Amino acid sequence: MALLEVSAIEVNYGRVTALSGVDLTVNEGEIVTVLGANGAGKSTLLRAILGAVPLKAGGIRFSGADITRAPTHSRIASGLVLVPEGRRILISLSVEENLQLGAHMRTDTTRVKAEIDAIYQRFPNLAERRHMLASCLSGGEQQMLAIGRAMLAKPRLMMLDEPSLGLSPLFVSKLFDLIKELNRDGLSILLVEQNTGKALGVAHQATVLELGRVVMAGDPKALAADPRLQQAYLGEGTPSH
Amino acid sequence: MLTQQIINGLMLGAIYMLVAVAFTLAIGVLNFLNFSIPGLFMLGGVATFGFLKMGWPFLLAAAGALFIAALVSLLVERLAYRRMKEGDADVPLVSSLGFLVLLENLVLIRYGSDQQAFPALFPDMNLRVGGLVIGIVQLVSMAISLGLVAWLSWFLRTTNAGRRIRTVAENRETAMLMGINIERLVPQLFVCSALLAALAGLLFAINYQQVTPFMGEGIGFKAVAAMIIGGMGSIWGAVIGGLLIGLAEVLSVSFIGADVVNITVYGLLLVILILRPQGLLGRPPAREKL
Ligand SMILES: Nc1ncnc2c1ncn2[C@@H]1O[C@H](COP(=O)(O)OP(=O)(O)O)[C@@H](O)[C@H]1O
Ligand SMILES: [Mg+2]
Repeated sequence: MALLEVSAIEVNYGRVTALSGVDLTVNEGEIVTVLGANGAGKSTLLRAILGAVPLKAGGIRFSGADITRAPTHSRIASGLVLVPEGRRILISLSVEENLQLGAHMRTDTTRVKAEIDAIYQRFPNLAERRHMLASCLSGGEQQMLAIGRAMLAKPRLMMLDEPSLGLSPLFVSKLFDLIKELNRDGLSILLVEQNTGKALGVAHQATVLELGRVVMAGDPKALAADPRLQQAYLGEGTPSH
Repeated sequence: MLTQQIINGLMLGAIYMLVAVAFTLAIGVLNFLNFSIPGLFMLGGVATFGFLKMGWPFLLAAAGALFIAALVSLLVERLAYRRMKEGDADVPLVSSLGFLVLLENLVLIRYGSDQQAFPALFPDMNLRVGGLVIGIVQLVSMAISLGLVAWLSWFLRTTNAGRRIRTVAENRETAMLMGINIERLVPQLFVCSALLAALAGLLFAINYQQVTPFMGEGIGFKAVAAMIIGGMGSIWGAVIGGLLIGLAEVLSVSFIGADVVNITVYGLLLVILILRPQGLLGRPPAREKL
């Protein structure tokens, strides 16, 4: 069953067209990855789904409801969440306050406490620094914090924007393990990545963007073997590693 | 004598503190030096005075004045602040200053420029401790001010709404991506800041038994100085700055003379800024806020 349906959306920044005619579907329980070179429009797509940039045309449905015109906060309340590019940890808040911020719309405080404890169990490094300012964390720990914060929003679909960027190889494989684990627990995931190999390895479906358009979509294994995938990156002169 | 003056200084300081916290909310979270705040301070005193003259009971008059200040603050948000978003950051500063002048002149038309005597509302009860005389009204006013600021600090630190405010203070874009409804939060902050300023004006009127259309100006400047001394954007900084300025003012009036008040107050500001440019509790940028 389709959880998220993006149909023919168009987004402009002034006179720059960032997305045009983009379709995307995420089914319940799937990991879908969106690939593409820098500037292809991947972040814009996630922002559009979250309602952080206005649509020029097209529509978005989430879990059966039309959310095309819904404000960001109500989309998040209905189960969409974004782990943004660059993580966007709040450095004037403590580690724990960053986690609590993820749950800022929830009123079930005892459940939230239990979930925060569960996150500490999963990431002991965060537990140790829970009362310190989040700026003291390493890049990898900050990414874990950003994901933990997103988990606390109780999402049904988690969107991650280049989560592996700037992480050590050890953290990258930890990250992909975590993504698989969250998905196994029932969370649907929309993953934007530059690390195409890893992303295609975990995804059930893949979509490739080039200059704001979908140029390829389908089975990740078939895509991984397709020479046009490399071209999509070389087209912008930014090959992935 | 000295202890007596210290108590009087702290009383005046508590009023500066409330106004400084009102400025701190505006600058710390909204990045807006809101010069309508002294006008809202004045409204807190003058509107209460007006309602009392109309025969309203005190509590109703006070509530009415706070309500009016909150409404005016929402207008400032609509007409001055909301427009700046894309534009120049100096524009809302200037237009909020316009609101101050407008409010002062409206009051001037209604009540004239003379100082009006604010009625003595409460029987003159004093605590006598040793040689010290402490007015009950004074004591209650200080307790209300400090209690309110302590509560606000607790609220910002421990509630979801408080964390939302601190997130907006750090980064608006991130706040939006976290699902914080900024459109709703901003007017709420304007109301908070207005209530603090108007309450300060009300307490000033009660304690010093006078109101004028221009009573907000001197207080407003000193509250800004208090905020800078304490460290911009820090609530406890505004508390310390406010109390320090109140003390400096009262002590210099009684021991040196009324002419030197501004020299001591702004001299203190200068000295502290030279010794500690970020203010007493101010932290280098990109650290804890509020
Ligand atoms: N805030 C913005 N203002 C103007 N142009 C933007 C803005 N954000 C992105 N763009 C442009 O939109 C296009 C898509 O950007 P983006 O979605 O960030 O791509 P990606 O995430 O795939 O690197 C790029 O050409 C980029 O320069
Ligand atoms: Mg991007």
